[in-house]
Amino acid sequence: MNPKPATPPFTLPPIFSAVRNGMKIYVVPRAGLPLVSLHLIFPYGAETDPPGKAGLTDLAAEMLTLGTRQRSAAQIASEVDGLGASLSAHAGWDATALHLQGLKEDLGRLLELLREMVVEPSFPEEEFSQLQQRRVAALVQQKDESQIVAGERFEEILFRGTPYDHPVYGTLKTVPLISRDEVQDFYRRRSLPEGSFWVLVGDVDPDDCFRRLEAHFSILTPGPIQASPFNPAPPQGIRTFLVDRPDLTQSQIRLGHLGFPPVHPDFYAFEVMNYILGGGGFSSRLMQRIRVELGLTYGIRSSLDLRRQAGPFAVATFTPTATTFGCVAESLSILKSFRAQGASKIERDEAVQFLRGSYPLKFETLSQVAQRVLQTEIYGLGIDFLRDYPEKIEATGEADILRCAQTHLDPENLIIVIVGRAEAFRRDFERWGPVEVSK
Amino acid sequence: MNFFPEISAHRLANGLLVLAAEIHSLPILSHQVHFAAGSRYEKPGITGISHLFEHLMFKGTRRVKPEEFARIIQAHGGTLNAFTTTDNTSYYENLPAEKLELAMDLEADRLANLQLTSETLEPEREVVRSERKLRSVNSPFGLLIEQLSALAYEQHPYRWPVIGWDADLKTLTLEDCREYYRTHYAPNNAVVVVVGDVAAEDVFRLAEKYYGPIPAQTAPPPTITPEKPQRGEKRAVYKKVSQVAAFFAAFHIPGIAHPDLIPLQILCTVLSSGRSSIFFQKFEKPGKAVEAQAEMGSPPFFFMDPGLLQIYAIASPGFPLEKLEREIWDEVEALRRDALPAEILLKAKKQVRSAFLQSLQTHFFKGLLAGLYQVRAGDYRHLYQILSRYEPVTADEVLQAAGKYLRPENRTVVSLQPVSQAEHDELGEIE
Repeated sequence: MNPKPATPPFTLPPIFSAVRNGMKIYVVPRAGLPLVSLHLIFPYGAETDPPGKAGLTDLAAEMLTLGTRQRSAAQIASEVDGLGASLSAHAGWDATALHLQGLKEDLGRLLELLREMVVEPSFPEEEFSQLQQRRVAALVQQKDESQIVAGERFEEILFRGTPYDHPVYGTLKTVPLISRDEVQDFYRRRSLPEGSFWVLVGDVDPDDCFRRLEAHFSILTPGPIQASPFNPAPPQGIRTFLVDRPDLTQSQIRLGHLGFPPVHPDFYAFEVMNYILGGGGFSSRLMQRIRVELGLTYGIRSSLDLRRQAGPFAVATFTPTATTFGCVAESLSILKSFRAQGASKIERDEAVQFLRGSYPLKFETLSQVAQRVLQTEIYGLGIDFLRDYPEKIEATGEADILRCAQTHLDPENLIIVIVGRAEAFRRDFERWGPVEVSK
Repeated sequence: MNFFPEISAHRLANGLLVLAAEIHSLPILSHQVHFAAGSRYEKPGITGISHLFEHLMFKGTRRVKPEEFARIIQAHGGTLNAFTTTDNTSYYENLPAEKLELAMDLEADRLANLQLTSETLEPEREVVRSERKLRSVNSPFGLLIEQLSALAYEQHPYRWPVIGWDADLKTLTLEDCREYYRTHYAPNNAVVVVVGDVAAEDVFRLAEKYYGPIPAQTAPPPTITPEKPQRGEKRAVYKKVSQVAAFFAAFHIPGIAHPDLIPLQILCTVLSSGRSSIFFQKFEKPGKAVEAQAEMGSPPFFFMDPGLLQIYAIASPGFPLEKLEREIWDEVEALRRDALPAEILLKAKKQVRSAFLQSLQTHFFKGLLAGLYQVRAGDYRHLYQILSRYEPVTADEVLQAAGKYLRPENRTVVSLQPVSQAEHDELGEIE
């Protein structure tokens, strides 16, 4: 039952674009259901949080939804819910997104609401203090979520001294230090900045969308706002960081190092390589060995998180306390052997077939289509990226995979983060290098 | 206006029902097999076997090696998975449209020829115990929710968790698994659904070819003990290390086919859906609760038998849990006393309608609607009525439903009380 080589060609949905009042606009019409999905993207994210103010960009984004000159937060909420719509405003890394999804019949109202929030936000004092309190409470509760604790600790160490060194939503130390005036000032100085763009997907007409946006929105702040580039830290061997949680019966594990941004020419080879290593579910070596053969975990995967600059490459898994060291050791040895030997022809063919064949499934929902389009813009890939992706994947051979593994996997220099019963396995990890234990 | 494509149905001689819906927007399809197998069909001593068995279905046949099923589907550009609930176990492949035959061939093969050996059972048992630790034991509220069902139900199988009790997972035998396979994995106990870029007649022809030869089995005897009406509030406390205090409450409500679920869904929407909802405005916004929700599932995930409407709240640090719970019950009482204002009812209806339309974006979800309504309610055609059932709901019907089901006597509450590590340890090992 080997895969047939030919998968029928998939054609991208037509993507219409225009520039109006300095803003790039992408429209992808999709009939069938009477829905629209609207995304307004600002070209800056949490990587531009000032030092000591982690969470500022994200707080500023949510404050846009909590009051305008014409409407209170409660009125906005009523209006959004009354339209059966969903609204979100959050910072990511490298970009901030306002997203409103609703019914086609309400397109005019939805755009007007977005205009008010973006152009006339009022930053009410009481709303800000309540939002701050909600964020602090959520951060306290989050300490119970070992998966989140593990991910945060991993990135905190990996990105120390870089613009990515803090969670997007801030920390218990920084969020209480941010004031309403700071948030307002922060937003005012970067209101609809150059590089902001739109993605509209759904049962819409492109020309109608261009006209509507032109009538209500234009770039207000000149000049790009982006974090300065950073250089990776020099190699430091294997370092282990344990977060002691004696109440847990299973350890949360992250191990990895810095990756690279998606504009890098090795990106396609990495996609194929990572499918084989740990991104391909049951087709991956990590899953096959750690779950299927050894029964050490329910799930294990490796992934490269996409950012404008280098994002993290990490293997993520969990295993009962007693098998923690064994699970990490086995994962590391898979990384090492993959780096040494690369992939077989069958592995390469299956990975390519999956990535090509499943590509149309990534264009099924309005949000999926919008995400694809906006990622190409945020990461500077160009819209042709979406068209060329299957071809570039197909062009990846075994030699490319081996070269990619040898260039971008570094099992001798990585960090290991484990949230669990530290005393049960601390000594094991000390054999490999320094171990730091925290609460 | 109906946004669901027409479904064609065809029953094979062995009892298998095949449903096909043609949608030609993208060159893809979703192929699904839904079995009337889930934790409601289990007995004490073998709890969790439905879900464990879902894992074993990937362990190979004479033709296909263990876990090769996934590798083959993915290598043909497909994605796949399976899930087990109280009322169904479902397997699906979302893949390029011309790969339907491959998916049917592989699904039919494991339905007829699964190899069950201790070599595959033993590591999988540990995988499932790791999954249990992930979902229940080490998750902040997992064990609390388990206790809530265990207390709310005294007789019905909904009282144990789908993942099963750890003690049972440790002792289930290979023979238990074989028996479960024999009785539940039969064509007459399943429905196959195909949604996507394919002609219905091709679906039926391929179904005859691959599923047709599999013999029907004697249907498993019904084992359900119905739950008696609850006659007074039940309460329990659960102590563990935690940053926050919380309570989880459950009210008994009817099963999937009952008309009262519609006004109850409107009630849940009014209570906690969106930022204009009562719970957000009164509890989350002013910092009394980190989170407060009213949930009963949405189509097609309503319980087959009388289920639970859950109301839970996580107290914000510093806000007393008892006060939060009391204030939440005051809000619920207000809904039992006064009819909803017209504009609130209208808003809730639009929210529910819009959420349903949003969910129809994928072939996969359309398939779930058809398959799960068939398995849980006995007829996939219920799905055509969903949208039209919200519109005529009146404020009086919502009031009646609140009065009938959200009574304190019908309520079970489990609260999470944070304790120190020393006290946590003294209370014994959790598993």
